[in-house]
Amino acid sequence: MAHSPGLLAVVRSEWIKFRSVRSTVIGTLIMLILTIGIGLLIGLAVKGHLASMNPVERASLDPIQVATGGILFAQFAVGVIGALVITAEFSSTSIRTTLAAVPNRLQLITAKGIVLSSVLFVVGEIACFIAYFDGALIFHGTIAALPPLTQGRILQAVVLGGVYLTLMGLFGFGLGLILRQSAGSISTYTSLLLILPILVFLLPSSWQNTITRYEPSVLGQAMRSTTGVLRGGTPVFSTWASVAILVAYCVVVMGAGVVLMQRRDA
Amino acid sequence: MISVEHLTKRFKDTVAVDDLSFEVKPGLITGFLGPNGSGKSTTMRLILGLDQPTKGRTLVNGKPYHALAAPLREVGALLDAKAVHPGRSARNHLLALAVSNGIATSRVDEVLDFVGLSSVAKKKAGSFSLGMSQRLGIAGALLGDPPVLLFDEPVNGLDPEGIRWIREFFRKLADEGRTVLVSSHLMSEMAVTADQIIVIGRGKFITSGSVDELTKNAAGTVLVRSTNNAKLSAILKDAPASVNEINDEGMRVSGLTAEKIGDLAFSAGIAVHELTPERASLEEVFMDLTHDSVEYTQSEKGTN
Ligand SMILES: Nc1ncnc2c1ncn2[C@@H]1O[C@H](COP(=O)(O)OP(=O)(O)OP(=O)(O)O)[C@@H](O)[C@H]1O
Ligand SMILES: [Mg+2]
Repeated sequence: MAHSPGLLAVVRSEWIKFRSVRSTVIGTLIMLILTIGIGLLIGLAVKGHLASMNPVERASLDPIQVATGGILFAQFAVGVIGALVITAEFSSTSIRTTLAAVPNRLQLITAKGIVLSSVLFVVGEIACFIAYFDGALIFHGTIAALPPLTQGRILQAVVLGGVYLTLMGLFGFGLGLILRQSAGSISTYTSLLLILPILVFLLPSSWQNTITRYEPSVLGQAMRSTTGVLRGGTPVFSTWASVAILVAYCVVVMGAGVVLMQRRDA
Repeated sequence: MISVEHLTKRFKDTVAVDDLSFEVKPGLITGFLGPNGSGKSTTMRLILGLDQPTKGRTLVNGKPYHALAAPLREVGALLDAKAVHPGRSARNHLLALAVSNGIATSRVDEVLDFVGLSSVAKKKAGSFSLGMSQRLGIAGALLGDPPVLLFDEPVNGLDPEGIRWIREFFRKLADEGRTVLVSSHLMSEMAVTADQIIVIGRGKFITSGSVDELTKNAAGTVLVRSTNNAKLSAILKDAPASVNEINDEGMRVSGLTAEKIGDLAFSAGIAVHELTPERASLEEVFMDLTHDSVEYTQSEKGTN
């Protein structure tokens, strides 16, 4: 009797799937381009206004946030990629072919999660380091000059940029596991990132300050912050508390996805 | 070998499979026959562990599907030819399947060649015609050279040449000693394809047997001509049988065997001039067997 090919075989299979469809490959490229390109544009815009900034503005300027600002756009790309990894299988019903080959659903989700997070982490880190070096070039010799990577806080901020993109990809993947359809998952993901902050904005300002720090993209900015506050003075959680909260979001969403996947018919 | 044991599957208000039990044996082509919505596809999904049974269980080679170490090496299935990511090439689709079950990648080109898709292996599966998709599905089912194979309505979308090809292919698989389960809602199709037929209706087991057995057991009619048709007709109706008068010369009798009719005529002193058993056609047998379930499906739910 044949012995089980195991998790590694399923990971290799999922890697073949990931790289053999246009949507995931292009999505990954878009994430790379957005992180670098938007960072570049924001950097140039900020540089042009450095002279006209008032002292308060200048004090709250965190150049590493500016350099990695493209993440605020790239986070939508990773959410879409994460969701598509599973929802594309449901919409084409190829999930049945997949599950007939890999009946262990937890193993399948684990393999998909490993492939997704590996790709997003590697490409996310590449994107964030390039964005850092672009920022360093742009702000070289100005009052907003970026400290070198050898400075711990800076290296940490850059690395956590890639970590943030990876975690948000897994968050989108979890939504996909729960909702099973691309449009629903992507619009839910987008709403959580875009609409929720608008709703919070309608609340009394004392509440805003409490709630805003829990928003995923604010957690992401806190992870990259070297000043401990956002522009405009919004208080945020510490770096590692932010990482922990974001990880907790992913665990909850993915956990629900795994449970539903185990229970439901394919 | 496939065993289905007291299998029941309920979807909200529909009982798709109802206490169904049967076995599928190796070396034969087994037809899985039932009208639309009778639960064939659901049963196959349950065998593959895609749906959870409400009650009962299914075993493949004595094991539940999820307990198979490398399922593609033990079971090959084609449920839905379009169950492929439309944006992935045929070759990459098969490659991912092969790798997940530790099957040599050289096997991918072998099966592509076998189903005649080598020249379009790099094309996206979404661009395939239904016939090509069927072939890709068959390639996927064959990847692991499995001893058990399941096909759900495999002739759908095939042209006559394709249908002949697939029949010969099933025969070859069965001759190699494999277990082959093929579903269809067409008795005529099964009659020329299958050795053994399992008939279900409304999720329930109705009957099983070879094509010959099914037609033999089914209520056929007997054409009778005698010296006194009117008297014999009265005697037969009392027997009781149902008698269709065709004309003065003869009548068509159902519900009695030719032997019995001859005996009854003899004891009444009527000379019989003709006594011809007429076999029910396969399609008639099937309609007869599944009559109730068809009515149910049409009145309560349009299904697919
Ligand atoms: N996922 C589902 N949810 C709800 N009802 C379902 C589901 N799948 C099947 N059914 C119902 O179960 C019954 C059996 O359907 P199934 O598809 O198994 O029949 P079938 O014999 O394959 O029919 P056909 O010959 O049309 O393919 C039908 O009434 C169908 O509507
Ligand atoms: Mg069906």
